[in-house]
Amino acid sequence: MGGSEERVVAVIMVGGPTKGTRFRPLSLNTPKPLFPLAGQPMVNHPISACKKIPNLAQIYLIGLYEERDFALFVSSISNELRVPVRYLKEDKPHGSAGGLYNFRDQIMEESPSHIFLLNCDVCCSFPLAEMLVVHRSYGGMGTILVIKVSPESASQFGELVADPVTNELLHYTEKPETFVSDRINCGVYLFTPDIFTAVQDVSSQRKDRATLRRISSFEALQPANRSLPSDFVRLDQDILSPLAGKKQFYVYETTDYWEQIKTPGMSLKCSGLYLAQFRHTSPHLLASGEGMKTAAISGNVYIHPSAKVHPTAKIGPSASISANARIGAGVRLVNCIILDDVEIKENAVVIHAIVGWKSSIGRWSRVQASGDHNAKLGVTILGESVMVEDEVVVINSIVLPNKTMNVSVQEEIIL
Amino acid sequence: MKALILVGGFGTRLRPLTLSVPKPLVDFANKPMILHQIEALKAIGVTEVVLAINYQPEVMLNFLKDFEAKLEIKITCSQETEPLGTAGPLALARDKLIDESGDPFFVLNSDVISEYPLKEMIEFHKSHGGEASIMVTKVDEPSKYGVVVTEESTGKVERFVEKPKLFVGNKINAGIYLLNPSVLDRIQLRPTSIEKEIFPKIAAEGKLYAMVLPGFWMDIGQPKDYITGLRLYLDSLRKKASPKLATGTNIIGNVLVDESAKIGEGCLIGPDVAIGPGCVVESGVRLSCCTVMRGVRIKKHACISSSIIGWHSTVGQWARVENMTILGEDVHVCDEIYSNGGVVLPHKEIKSSILKPEIVM
Repeated sequence: MGGSEERVVAVIMVGGPTKGTRFRPLSLNTPKPLFPLAGQPMVNHPISACKKIPNLAQIYLIGLYEERDFALFVSSISNELRVPVRYLKEDKPHGSAGGLYNFRDQIMEESPSHIFLLNCDVCCSFPLAEMLVVHRSYGGMGTILVIKVSPESASQFGELVADPVTNELLHYTEKPETFVSDRINCGVYLFTPDIFTAVQDVSSQRKDRATLRRISSFEALQPANRSLPSDFVRLDQDILSPLAGKKQFYVYETTDYWEQIKTPGMSLKCSGLYLAQFRHTSPHLLASGEGMKTAAISGNVYIHPSAKVHPTAKIGPSASISANARIGAGVRLVNCIILDDVEIKENAVVIHAIVGWKSSIGRWSRVQASGDHNAKLGVTILGESVMVEDEVVVINSIVLPNKTMNVSVQEEIIL
Repeated sequence: MKALILVGGFGTRLRPLTLSVPKPLVDFANKPMILHQIEALKAIGVTEVVLAINYQPEVMLNFLKDFEAKLEIKITCSQETEPLGTAGPLALARDKLIDESGDPFFVLNSDVISEYPLKEMIEFHKSHGGEASIMVTKVDEPSKYGVVVTEESTGKVERFVEKPKLFVGNKINAGIYLLNPSVLDRIQLRPTSIEKEIFPKIAAEGKLYAMVLPGFWMDIGQPKDYITGLRLYLDSLRKKASPKLATGTNIIGNVLVDESAKIGEGCLIGPDVAIGPGCVVESGVRLSCCTVMRGVRIKKHACISSSIIGWHSTVGQWARVENMTILGEDVHVCDEIYSNGGVVLPHKEIKSSILKPEIVM
């Protein structure tokens, strides 16, 4: 059981630039996976979690971004965390399972016995080592991380039904209209290399059907048949759904936090969740606020070592301050992410907001929002190089890069 | 002769179009905006154009290489490292603008569309013998702008009044200048406003003269004015009996159609429409007061008015798009959708109707 020959590989799907427009305006300036949560790029969090997997041989990042977008990141994270990380660019979208299959040669290079598949935009505690243990005991093709959610919100996700005793996956359906189950798919999976055979079967079946000329005109109009290319294979609809109930897949339930990071508002919430996790796992990363010369700190706060914070400022809870930011005297920051090179002048207030790189917040100005992370304008987002002039108020608004706010606004999108 | 075109910054007012290309490269009447100006300058014998930019120089430079060759005019960039206002860029480009000939040089604003009567301006400049000439244009609401008060008979500028509360005149600065090289001696290399600092001094010395711009003028830096500007531009083509305007039983009013565009049966196109290269307009489509950019497909029975459809977008069957809808690059409006003033950022699919003006990110 788990001999020294058993190597494990982790694959993190990072997405691409034209998908995921929901992360605008922040994604106008930076690939979503590199956006910082709790002071570290989003993708760092699953990568750090992978470090805890015994016998981890390699981490692959798979996405549609250009290689140069990830080159610097990959080499620095490999050095920093002492774990080999590689970025593999898909030439076109292959679907969640097709992407894995597309790079099977690289992934199987070191003949791993197990392959983790993680989605980069998932925020959770990533209990990967525990998943590996239970997966071995189940002996199936794959184990899926699931979490219980409220019945009302379940329909936004993939709903699963599992056997309460054996934990076998019995039924899987993606975003159903009626209630099926309150257990949902977290987007974290563990597979054995058999998964590649399963994907190949789907591809071949689709190729065969495509060459069959006698599809009735009725069938041809069905959305499901509207020909997906044979190499576009979705994990949920094409693999988990059909193979549920066939003793191939099992579930592992987590009771920790879980969120999807689809919008800037959610990224603020998840940054707070990770800051709270640091309080338990790595408290040295958080600001302590001790000493006469430091600002007052409330709750969980991250401050980059190069940032300058005036001692009369009060920071937190749930605030994250990035490199070279300057926080002036008497500033109050609550539940916010302050990105690199931002200047916040005296007595300004920022509550429930994300302040973009190189922006400048004027004296006595106020940047705030309701704090509803799910609402479209529930978190105020200032893009790169936005200037908010002295005493101006920006509430529940989104401001695109390079704008100057010289009048106060509420509930607006400023292009 | 030389010329400088002030291109400036981010073009945020023309978003979402300027999220895909820098503003001077946004198409107007089927041609990049800045090409209208470069062609007008070339036509009167300007041999070198300097673009004063501070944003995305690489994109501009690539594009310019194509045009330099095609137009046989030298195009260079002068890049500001900090915003220098409306006069500072001239100081920055000083060496490119002055040569041994001592000729005056043109300065144009890249947002402006007009007839560009540059030959007449050269004659006007020679005849008054002053140091600088500016074009002014008559507007209905002068207090939105900077008004230029001139002596009626000579055109000598008496003073500039910024956004006057009481009526002092109805001519405003049209953003087209012809300057003697000596003007450069008045401008320091720092953020400077030509209207507020430089021109008033020259006017005080009695050396600044203004010519009323014949024909149309529009600042097309924002979508509403872009659409009005297209109407004025096409109107001026009509006045010149330009062969570029489309004709046919399915054309109403002034319409520009690129030769590589295809228009189906039973369409009604116009007035005031520009259809760009490679566009496909399927049958039964109604287009009025709109711009359809390169590579767009408008599907059957759709109806579009007072809108701008960005490059490579598609508008679905029976869709209705109107009231200042601006679609960025690669936006796909599904069949039967209604958009009332939707402003849609690039790479989006519109699957549900937009009932009142809203920004879709």
